[in-house]
Amino acid sequence: MTARKFGPNETVDFVVVGSGAAGGVMARELSRAGFEVLVLEQGPRFTAADFRHDELDYWYNNALLNSLDTSPQTFRRTDKEKAQRVRDVPAAMYARMVGGSSNHFTANFWRLHEVDFKERSLLGPIAGTSFSDWPIDYAELEPYYTKVEWEVGVSGLAGASPFDPPRSKPYPMPPLPVKSSGVLLERGARKLGLHPFPAPMAIASVPYRGRPSCAHCGFCIGFGCEMRAKSSTLYTMIPEAEAAGRCEVRSESYVVRIDVDDRNRATGVAYFDRDKREHFQKARAVVVCANGAETPRLLLMSASAKHPDGLANSSGLVGRNLMFNTYSEVGALFEHELNEYKSVQVTRIVHDFYDADPKRGFYGGGGFDGRLGPNPIGWSLFSTPPDRAWGAGFKALLEAMPRAMVVASHGTSLPLEANRVDLDPGLKDAWGRPAMRVTYQDHPDDLAFSRFLQERGAEVMEAAGAQQVWKLPVVEATMSPHLLGTCRMGDDPRTSVVDRYHRTHDVRNLFLCDGSSMVTSGRGQPTMTIQALAFRAGDHIARFAKRGEI
Amino acid sequence: MNKNNTSRRDFLRASGGTLGVAWLGTQWPQLAAAAEHAHEVASGNADHAFKVLAPSQARDVEAIAAQIVPSGATPGAREAGVVYFVDHVSAGIFAQRAPELLAGLAAFQEDFARRHPGLGSFADASDAEQLAYLKTVDATPFFNTMRFLTVAGLLALPSYGGNENKIGWKIVGFVDRHVWTPPFGWYDERYAGFEPYAKEPRS
Repeated sequence: MTARKFGPNETVDFVVVGSGAAGGVMARELSRAGFEVLVLEQGPRFTAADFRHDELDYWYNNALLNSLDTSPQTFRRTDKEKAQRVRDVPAAMYARMVGGSSNHFTANFWRLHEVDFKERSLLGPIAGTSFSDWPIDYAELEPYYTKVEWEVGVSGLAGASPFDPPRSKPYPMPPLPVKSSGVLLERGARKLGLHPFPAPMAIASVPYRGRPSCAHCGFCIGFGCEMRAKSSTLYTMIPEAEAAGRCEVRSESYVVRIDVDDRNRATGVAYFDRDKREHFQKARAVVVCANGAETPRLLLMSASAKHPDGLANSSGLVGRNLMFNTYSEVGALFEHELNEYKSVQVTRIVHDFYDADPKRGFYGGGGFDGRLGPNPIGWSLFSTPPDRAWGAGFKALLEAMPRAMVVASHGTSLPLEANRVDLDPGLKDAWGRPAMRVTYQDHPDDLAFSRFLQERGAEVMEAAGAQQVWKLPVVEATMSPHLLGTCRMGDDPRTSVVDRYHRTHDVRNLFLCDGSSMVTSGRGQPTMTIQALAFRAGDHIARFAKRGEI
Repeated sequence: MNKNNTSRRDFLRASGGTLGVAWLGTQWPQLAAAAEHAHEVASGNADHAFKVLAPSQARDVEAIAAQIVPSGATPGAREAGVVYFVDHVSAGIFAQRAPELLAGLAAFQEDFARRHPGLGSFADASDAEQLAYLKTVDATPFFNTMRFLTVAGLLALPSYGGNENKIGWKIVGFVDRHVWTPPFGWYDERYAGFEPYAKEPRS
């Protein structure tokens, strides 16, 4: 069966906006369920042969990201500041291409734990935050986590982590071969009585469903996979959606508005093609999977007389409660060579500090892993000790790179209404649409926990026998590829944007599913959950459609 | 000349003896395509013609870079041709940032000259004088940009004009190959295997 091509005047069953981690799954699930699906993706469609090992272009020229020239963003910490145009790195970072950020991500694939869904009930309120329970629990999502692992392709070792939540099936592939960073993390952590375990990664450790296994080239984080071993939707969900014969993926199609008729039903979307010609695509229902920054922006750009504050925004929460996750690093040098530039980033992780502990005096939970970080340029610039930034001491560090590793810590971000994505009042993009404005300031507890976890990582490196250990400064976030919480799900239309099935409370045939749906941030590796949510949402949306309930 | 054959031969030579035949059989088409591509972008011939920097600017840029990653027992930024990288990317992928770089450089040169009357340019100063001066400006945006460009010029693909003869990659021990098989390092080579936990720590 070949991919469907829809004519310009055809009305499709579903238009899916975005083809990334969630959009790819949604397209596959809805088309396999028998519906006609058009996916509109703003970026181009690459093949594996298009991806390069070009750290300069990919990391420092944003080759896979939105161009800040044509899709500018502004950033501020609080409402009191005037947002400034960001210059080098997008505040809301995502890959702009078919497959979205599932192409350039690191492929850490952690499930949420049971506690993530009900932490507010367990811990109580946290003043000044929108800390809330999810409307669903882990048990409800578990079958869809398993589906991600098998349909998308995840390598790991079931039962290895004593902290893992219950699972209905083992991983379909064994863990990737351990690297020296994993061995040392494991050595140090075990000495301290912790429980390191093989990292679950969305990278094929063995040939899987027609895709080759990892060649250990070392260019995962920030790069598209030339081997098709990384389980990006570009290689997994999208081709399978097209193979259903009812799905078209239309790349270089930038959606700028969702229209709603007098009956308050979405009628379709307006988009620009690659030549900046505007089109309108009619659809019986609209599913937005544009990521946690672009989804709220699209809703806000779709304001109308009937929805003056933006579409589906009766709660006023569209774009709010943005969560980035925290990140901190410990650097370490060892006696012998690790050669961390080879293979995948992460092979061992520690989840002993996953749960929040009120005794610490601040909220927070997370995990840490062993890795190098983004390739030679990135490690040299950002992971070396700041007090040896140049000169002979700096060069000595560069020469020690084969013996270096990083412990990367990933933690919670509390939801704060002030942290948000909205429309910049002055700046426009190259299509004349309002630029994205990002307002973000870490909660003090988030930074406190990030420092706490960094300390634990440093202890692990000392216990592993490192010759040198240094902590990189923990700084307030000004950007992130984790874009979460901006159209949160919930049962109450006053305090959430979508219901437990991802249907907007305000517009019956409009659904949202991506990082924006998340109520809490998890511990830092959201893509697994985004895809599980998408499988679950696709399942329910297809059922609604079949029952005439859309 | 058939480029495909050359790079495939290189690739086979690089990976020969380390890959199982069966594994190669299943992975070959993807590997061959990827290796071919990687080969093309990694082969840059050194181009020493300046496109943006005037000679006096190039001398100072090279001198600054040579303090950030000095030469010594092993080559540094100077030998890696970082100055050519700075020049070429200023006419290429970082062309938009070139005016700011040149303005920063002009301010650097002016300040150095004012504080060292009669000495000439930064590049003409002694090693000790250069070091002493850089310590007073190493928190400036211009120095930070120079640090970025020096590291990038050392470690980016040679096709951008730096990393001549892969000197930068040699400094950091990075080997330009497309495929690796375990063991990757000293510690994983000696790893005994993952030992499952006997007891559940969950309460």
